[in-house]
Amino acid sequence: MISAPDVVAFTKEDEYEEEPYNEVALPEEYSVPLFPFASQGANPWSKLSEAKFSRDFILISEFSEQVGPQPLLTIPNDTKVFGTFDLNYFSLRIMSVDYQASFVGHPPGSAYPKLNFVEDSKVVLGDSKEGAFAYVHHLTLYDLEARGFVRPFCMAYISADQHKIMQQFQELSAEFSKASECLKTGNRKAFAGELEKKLKDLDYTRTVLHTETEIQKKANDKGFYSSQAIEKANELASVEKSIIEHQDLLKQIRSYPYQKLKGSDLSAGKAEHTQDQAGQASTTSNPDESADTEVYTCRPAYTPKLIKAKSTKCFDKKLKTLEELCDTEYFAQTLAQLSHIEHMFRGDLCYLLTSQIDRALLKQQHITNFLFEDFVEVVDRVVEKQGSTPLEPSQDRPPSRSLEECLSPKVLISVGSYKSSVESVLIKMEQELGNEEYKEVEVTEVSSFLLQENLDYLDMDMKGSISSGESIEVLGTEKSTSVLPKSDSQASLTIPLSPQVVRTKAVSHRTISEDSIEVLSTCPSEALIPDDFKASYPSAINEEETYAGDNEGAIHFQASASPLDLGEAEEGSLENTPSHTDSSCCIGKENDSLLVPLPTLAHKLSDNDGVVSIPPQRYRQKDQGFHVDFAVENVSPSPRDNSSESFSPYELGPSCLLASRDVSKTSLDNYSDSTSYVSSVASTSSDRTPSSAHPTGTSCERHKKRAGQNALKFIRQYPFAHPAIYSLLSGRTLVVLGEDEAIVRKLVTALSIFVPNYGCYAKPVKHWVSSPLHITDFQKWKLIGLQRVVSPASAGTLQALRRYSRYTSILDLDNKTLRCPMYRGTLVPRLADHRTQIKRGSTYYMHVQSMLTQLCSKVFLYTFCHHLHLPAHDRETQELVASRQVSFLKLNLGLVNEDVKVVQYLAELLKLQYMQESPGTSHPMLRFDYVPSFLYKI
Amino acid sequence: MSTLCPPPSPAVAKTEIVLSGESPLLAATFAYWDNILGPRVRHIWAPKTEQVLLSDGEITFLANHTLNGEILRNAESGAIDVKFFVLSEKGVIIVSLIFDGNWNGDRSTYGLSIILPQTELSFYLPLHRVCVDRLTHIIRKGRIWMHKERQENVQKIVLEGTERMEDQGQSIIPMLTGEVIPVMELLSSMKSHSVSEEIDIADTVLNDDDIGDSCHEGFLLNAISSHLQTCGCSVVVGSSAEKVNKIVRTLCLFLTPAERKCSRLCETESSFKYESGLFVQGLLKDSTGSFVLPFRQVMYAPYPTTHIDVDVNTVKQMPPCHEHIYNQRRYMRSELTAFWRATSEEDMAQDTIIYTDESFTPDLNIFQDVLHRDTLVKAFLDQVFHLKPGLSLRSTFLAQFLLILHRKALTLIKYIEDDTQKGKKPFKSLRNLKIDLDLTAEGDLNIIMALAEKIKPGLHSFIFGRPFYTSVQERDVLMTF
Repeated sequence: MISAPDVVAFTKEDEYEEEPYNEVALPEEYSVPLFPFASQGANPWSKLSEAKFSRDFILISEFSEQVGPQPLLTIPNDTKVFGTFDLNYFSLRIMSVDYQASFVGHPPGSAYPKLNFVEDSKVVLGDSKEGAFAYVHHLTLYDLEARGFVRPFCMAYISADQHKIMQQFQELSAEFSKASECLKTGNRKAFAGELEKKLKDLDYTRTVLHTETEIQKKANDKGFYSSQAIEKANELASVEKSIIEHQDLLKQIRSYPYQKLKGSDLSAGKAEHTQDQAGQASTTSNPDESADTEVYTCRPAYTPKLIKAKSTKCFDKKLKTLEELCDTEYFAQTLAQLSHIEHMFRGDLCYLLTSQIDRALLKQQHITNFLFEDFVEVVDRVVEKQGSTPLEPSQDRPPSRSLEECLSPKVLISVGSYKSSVESVLIKMEQELGNEEYKEVEVTEVSSFLLQENLDYLDMDMKGSISSGESIEVLGTEKSTSVLPKSDSQASLTIPLSPQVVRTKAVSHRTISEDSIEVLSTCPSEALIPDDFKASYPSAINEEETYAGDNEGAIHFQASASPLDLGEAEEGSLENTPSHTDSSCCIGKENDSLLVPLPTLAHKLSDNDGVVSIPPQRYRQKDQGFHVDFAVENVSPSPRDNSSESFSPYELGPSCLLASRDVSKTSLDNYSDSTSYVSSVASTSSDRTPSSAHPTGTSCERHKKRAGQNALKFIRQYPFAHPAIYSLLSGRTLVVLGEDEAIVRKLVTALSIFVPNYGCYAKPVKHWVSSPLHITDFQKWKLIGLQRVVSPASAGTLQALRRYSRYTSILDLDNKTLRCPMYRGTLVPRLADHRTQIKRGSTYYMHVQSMLTQLCSKVFLYTFCHHLHLPAHDRETQELVASRQVSFLKLNLGLVNEDVKVVQYLAELLKLQYMQESPGTSHPMLRFDYVPSFLYKI
Repeated sequence: MSTLCPPPSPAVAKTEIVLSGESPLLAATFAYWDNILGPRVRHIWAPKTEQVLLSDGEITFLANHTLNGEILRNAESGAIDVKFFVLSEKGVIIVSLIFDGNWNGDRSTYGLSIILPQTELSFYLPLHRVCVDRLTHIIRKGRIWMHKERQENVQKIVLEGTERMEDQGQSIIPMLTGEVIPVMELLSSMKSHSVSEEIDIADTVLNDDDIGDSCHEGFLLNAISSHLQTCGCSVVVGSSAEKVNKIVRTLCLFLTPAERKCSRLCETESSFKYESGLFVQGLLKDSTGSFVLPFRQVMYAPYPTTHIDVDVNTVKQMPPCHEHIYNQRRYMRSELTAFWRATSEEDMAQDTIIYTDESFTPDLNIFQDVLHRDTLVKAFLDQVFHLKPGLSLRSTFLAQFLLILHRKALTLIKYIEDDTQKGKKPFKSLRNLKIDLDLTAEGDLNIIMALAEKIKPGLHSFIFGRPFYTSVQERDVLMTF
């Protein structure tokens, strides 16, 4: 393999330390350092701190015809940034490269001065002694007063990391080209204006001279010209020539070859776009010459001046500033673009690179991104997706055609009927969008306003449903043993539930009454295993008090539909078990029953039942509500908490937007992440925290830091953090109860990093609620911050919470208790180890993110592993399929105990998301897990 | 390209190089700063082509300008600085390596440059580091040679009393030619055989119905695992070009698009030479069934390499980054020292393995078995074949896997950054890191560390520091006490 035999291996370490001494040693300047990264205190971060400037900045320099190279301005315009770095010297260095050898003046064979539209040059160079490296973008601007009409400028991005500049060369080049185009467009406009003024001056001068000549002619009757007259005539000729020259220049500047920009340089188009975005009235980038001319000629009235015959070009004249050269608006636009660049490339290269790789990889994962990825990024992608035509299946998502091919035998499946693999009752709350048109509108307008509006509607409609007269009562007990025969009505709707599910639900009791449906509950057979009731923290757990016959703990629904029929529908959706369905495989079609427009049915029902005042309709995101609510709740919509009334975008997208939420009590803890590490702040900010090109990047980063830090505190302080996180990951709503709003909000924000999203808009997190909870809250929110109010008037809040306590996990911050199901998996301990040595919130956030990505990968595999969800042969029962699934989860994915439920829950969300036509537009079904809860105390 | 260029200097010598394939390189130049005349071009290398894209005058004009502003040069002793120009007006990109040296008795500034058309910018950028590293090293040697020759000439002048100053320094040109031609050949081969940015998973082993259809399960696991542990740097050798290329493409799936563009497939008929600095390269064995890797060049690669033989299904890997860098630097220093001491041109021939030095004997047995097993790649391979091939499911799953690796790598960097206050304090808690970041399997840690090394160079050396021959595992054991 190697071209020489093995030779002696190294023996003594000491030998490496010494160089040969018996002969003339190699001068160090000709050698290479032995430890490029580890000598003399060098480390991977040290290079960045050696520079004289504190962080990367942008420098604009000019090669002035009067004083030579000079720095004009820096971005950011803060002397602290460039510190003691010699801007004059560096300007001299970067401006000494002249590759824009454009010929301006009278070229051979041309009668008039010719403008040469020079393309920008880009140079990367550096000063290794100063530790400063720069991307330099050279450009030339036109100035009628300047020598040769040109003023050379350059914009330089200066960094201590040369590697960064080369790695980001194309991005830097593209961004600086935009800035340059902006400057040059403004400059052309200003230059044309200048020429027009000059032409007017010249025209006026010509008229004056002409008049004077005529007067002189008339005055002179001697028949020959006086020297004065000749001088005037020469002057006039000179002005005439100048007029022609300037007219030619104006023509040249107006005929700027836009196609050159459009054809080859994408950035020009982008620059145009940027300008448009800024709402500038000017359309100078328009390639249409006539429009262009119009812009150039559209100027305020100008009073021409007389031009003296001998205009002197002296060095004492004042050169135009960059702002004057480029038109104020364009100059401001350029500065904004440069600030954007400075912000975009700020920070350590490793973060920049990783964020670029992240974005590229996330683009390939539209299917799973919605679960845990950042709100902003997901929305970005959605917007991106909307802008384009539907992607090819192979690129965007697994092709449905191929998936259908997998359906052999063909399976009918209902989205609304997913049987949770965690033993639970699923109550589908119809929320599909009403019509395609509406979908389109909503999808194309992903603004926070609309989003908020949608959710407000949703909330309002859900509240509105309280007026319905009927109720559905779901009563549950794990200890019920009686088995009732299925009602005939169950056959009316074909909602799939596997035979296995029926078997496991054998211990259930249901009664259907005229006014209510009572579902007495389903207890998973395994849930009855006594071992399950053993506390994993014996000293800290108290078993939940009651199970059987706990009618107080039951959930009472009020439905606006005809009780019987709707009851049938609900019952059917819960219990019906057609043998031909495969409820757990996403690879299938939606059940036709779902496609039947519900409003028709509802209309019928309402016609038949005079009691129902509001006919139930298929739930629409915007204007329809789920007409079901607790009978015990107030009939009129209860006054909700003030904070929950208006859903700010921050509320909706905590992953990104919470950062700047106005929290009434700001604890110092919020900042502990940044203050705990003061010593490192002194180093250059080139290697500061990752930055994002997104405008909200900074607030996102801050939010991540805080959320991570608070989550870290939580897992260190609360020994029962694992079951709490398990609740969130498995879709069981966690209510954080406390008196202090700030503390509750802080914890909710922290825990929100573990909450999977339903869709791509916002996390189902409600940071603060002060009024009693509704059943719909459990459908909408998976993490709720609830106010504990001591006044007797607010006793309803706690009472309602107590009622649902069986179906939710409750974290009582005041009493430091947690009531939730037991968790014995291995996934959460890896995610939230209280012994972790991770020091900073942002690091912990990154750790959680990577672990959740790993989890998503498992979920994806489980969901799309087609052979898992289909019978291997015709005779294979659903039970066998299910057991195969469980064994796959355990053996192939290495999941233990409750971890299985987490993956199964996330897989359900994934299936829903995948099968929805417009993903993320509806909430999943309401579901309750009938599993025993335990009380954990510190 | 502009025609408004001054005529070339009559003194410029030119070497025309015959290349078998298309050359993206327009020319290479060697220029220097003359204290009287300013920047001057000494030598031009250009591929021999029928169509002249850039005249000698234009090349000279451009090369002269690479030294523009270098009168202000403010560099550290021995520094070789890189300048990079994209000149839209001329339609070219230029990469210049600027250095100081002694020639003709004067200390002066020199520039070795390569010129490419601007249309090749995206082709060139991923190869920038390879080209710069290789030219930098030849400059290091050339500088020594210039220095030595001057001394020798001065002695001869004194002895013989003849004026031979004109010839001085000429021999640096053949030395530079010795590296400029391979760089041209490398770029030419990359033009025709580089791996594309987007790889169709159908052309890889990951499209098989089941693991082991194309190659043995254990072999695939070892290959991918070791490939990731050596920073995505691998050499795939074999007798069948098809088989080799399939593995090359498979390994490239685990690289970024830019890294893929810095990887090369093997030729179907004859084999390319090994090129130092590429990420993955396929090489065809000769008729005797062997492929000889040049030791020196393997050592000079920026990252350790995995050697994969698809004929016999063997996977061998070089030591981790910190050891590799240390070995590399030792070898470089030895080579330069040997060069410094050499008394004849024969002694200075390239690719001579330096193993006669009293103090330094390179270990030629640099490839070892893959010792550290990982769980990340194993789990991935165990799982990916459960997904139906032919759809985009496996691509999505692969993207998820890569995302996990990248996120873990960034978390690891951040963890170390926090723990050491950005390098101000030594890192002492490797064991904690492994537990906290769920990297307890040695192979997992190696993979994530290798990925982290690419985005944060020097991380290995910083963490493991001295002694450089302590493996990650040993170091970890030591740290636990």
